[in-house]
Amino acid sequence: MKKLSLHPLTWWIWAIGLAIAVIRFDSTVFTIGCVGAVAVVVFANRDNAPWGKSFNWTLKVSAWILLVRTIIGVLIGVPIPGTTLFTLPILPLPSWMPGIRIGGSVTAERLTSALSEGILICAIIVIFGAAASLTSPHRLLRVLPVYIYEFGISIVIATSVLPQLVTSVSRIRQAQKLRGQSLRGFASWRRVAIPLLEESLARSLDLAAAMDSRGYGVSKKRSRYRPIKWRAADSAVVFSALIVMGLS
Amino acid sequence: MIKFSNVSLIYPNSTTTVLENLNLEIAEGEMVLVIGPTGSGKSSLLRLINGLVPHHTGGILAGDVSVDGHSTQLVKPGAMAHLIGIVGQNPANGFVADTVEEELAFGMETLNLPPDVMRKRVEEVLDLLSLSPLRDRAIATLSGGEQQRVAIGSALVAHPKVLVLDEPTSALDPIAAEEVLSILHRLVHDLSLTVVIAEHKLERVIQFADRIVHINGVGMAQVGTPEEILMHSPIAPPIVHLARALGLKEIGVSVREMRRMTAEIREKDYVSTDAVHSHVGDPIIQVRNLSVTYDGKNALNSVSTTISSNEIVAIMGRNGAGKSSLLKSLAGISDLSSGAVVVSGTNPQNLHGKMRRTSIGFIPQEPSDLLYGQSVQIECEQADKDNQIPSGTTAQILQQLVPGISPTTHPRDLSEGQRLGLALSIVLSSNPAVLILDEPTRGLDYQAKKELTTILIEFARATNKCVVLATHDVELVAELATRVLFLADGDIVADGSTLDVLLSSPAFAPQVSKVMSPQPWLKVSDVVSAIEAHQ
Repeated sequence: MKKLSLHPLTWWIWAIGLAIAVIRFDSTVFTIGCVGAVAVVVFANRDNAPWGKSFNWTLKVSAWILLVRTIIGVLIGVPIPGTTLFTLPILPLPSWMPGIRIGGSVTAERLTSALSEGILICAIIVIFGAAASLTSPHRLLRVLPVYIYEFGISIVIATSVLPQLVTSVSRIRQAQKLRGQSLRGFASWRRVAIPLLEESLARSLDLAAAMDSRGYGVSKKRSRYRPIKWRAADSAVVFSALIVMGLS
Repeated sequence: MIKFSNVSLIYPNSTTTVLENLNLEIAEGEMVLVIGPTGSGKSSLLRLINGLVPHHTGGILAGDVSVDGHSTQLVKPGAMAHLIGIVGQNPANGFVADTVEEELAFGMETLNLPPDVMRKRVEEVLDLLSLSPLRDRAIATLSGGEQQRVAIGSALVAHPKVLVLDEPTSALDPIAAEEVLSILHRLVHDLSLTVVIAEHKLERVIQFADRIVHINGVGMAQVGTPEEILMHSPIAPPIVHLARALGLKEIGVSVREMRRMTAEIREKDYVSTDAVHSHVGDPIIQVRNLSVTYDGKNALNSVSTTISSNEIVAIMGRNGAGKSSLLKSLAGISDLSSGAVVVSGTNPQNLHGKMRRTSIGFIPQEPSDLLYGQSVQIECEQADKDNQIPSGTTAQILQQLVPGISPTTHPRDLSEGQRLGLALSIVLSSNPAVLILDEPTRGLDYQAKKELTTILIEFARATNKCVVLATHDVELVAELATRVLFLADGDIVADGSTLDVLLSSPAFAPQVSKVMSPQPWLKVSDVVSAIEAHQ
């Protein structure tokens, strides 16, 4: 199947529409359905490029966030009465923190409320992660107006360097494995983070320097070699998101 | 065209000046080569030309740099875009578009050129750099040499008068490097383009240069013709070392010149000293019918070989020939489609922790991937702790390899060669049986390369040790390797002693052998000892 070649803004508008719909609907079933649909769209349409591969990481990261958010939501917070599932020991807190407690009985209601909030947050992350992995950051830069120069440069750097980080992470972890270091635990990520940070900084500076020396932002007007046109398919995608938004 | 008047440059938080009182004038249509040890300020000099230094990097600039009458103090780099094209050390980091054609157009779009002009110039550049077959390709899928050509092309579309290149051939195999340099040579002669180029591998570029700027690292710079500068410079390609060793009055910078000067020496009858068969011990690495597949493409097709102790094996071949895949399989970090790799009796994929450290030492293409400490000292102590060896051992190895590194330095602030030294001493501290290096000489100057050669030869001499390295650096292979494996398209196409393999391929022959052919000499010391034996 030939992949749709869409306007770089299309998927972002689509993502904003879906995100608004998800928040307004505030229904876990709808949210999960929405995430599923987004994932299907991404796996069918993404390019075989660094940003295309970044979606897997978005999924992993949001799964982590969901897990951590749920655990914290169950442990800390205002007690919600209901069916008790199990009871945790209560951690004594000073008297000036009334209404908050750590531990205590975990009710089914509390668990579901923590879960559904977590799912909502993750859904938003996944939706925007999808837009990022469906759109080439370079094409996105080309449609941004020149007068937001500083902003444009940061967008390009953020969106083009971040996906490349995914490739760098696996390369650095491989090297660390070769040094005989364990790849488990927090310490292993610290060992990856430092070379990674250095590399991405160096890369960002290189890219900024390259754009600068090629005259980016000097002329307020910019001509187009091959103008990117808004097509019917773009309208269709945006329209689909608007309909979902309207229904909510 | 380019004028440096009384230029001095110092970076903040630094005690030494990068350049001091440099005066230099580069005429139109000149090709100038900038040489100097790593970290001496070659890149700074190049980036001064379009004002990236100091506008982009900070630093204090005294004096004035002007290009075609425009002073860089008054205009920003962007405003010089129509005048100067600049290609960075790693062109892949500077690409702004996804496909070749869009990348070429980007610079013209920012200069607001009308679409019909853009179309014409894109076609021109595609033809000039033979990029037409690649026009619709995604840049990420191109090979290193192709990317380098795209980067040069995207600088040329703006019709600049000056082209600045920072180490354009360091990541390329000899054939791709040749392609890029001959294109530059043509641009200088056909379009009278002014080219300024920095490069460590002098043997590749020296014959094209009109003048050389030699920066010595403490702020001083010398300017002169290649012959003048290389006569006394410590940085010199093998061809110049050959002229010095033979005691020639003049030095030649091209193979042709040197052949004329040495005709007499070549024609004498030399006693063919049988190549000293270096002692080869027991097999350490065994590879049987190894195939590796990436994204449905075969990177290696049923490769078999055995590497024994005391061998230094160089794996050569063009970019994408499967060198890295072979190294990764030897180290046990890539999935094999079929076949088997055995290192010291075990499958390297099953090695972990201390076992891995003591059997295989691996230096990746970016040695900094191995480093995560905040200072050299912390790195060394970590290695001591990992290997349960007396504290200070790693620091001592480092002191031997690269003396004079302050233990409080952050690894990031080390020069390319020092960083490789640090990674190497960490790997050596666990005393591995096999040492594997992927492209160790990228960005290394001659001095650092010489030290690396000594270290590796020393290492391989010990019992039950061997070294495997992938490299494009023909001169390094000539100095170092005992055996060469030549890969092409995933197959081993040549496997034999360094002498046999290098002499049989003109593109991969080192300079000395090109000059001295048909005599079977690879390096300066070969020539000297043959002549001594003759007398």
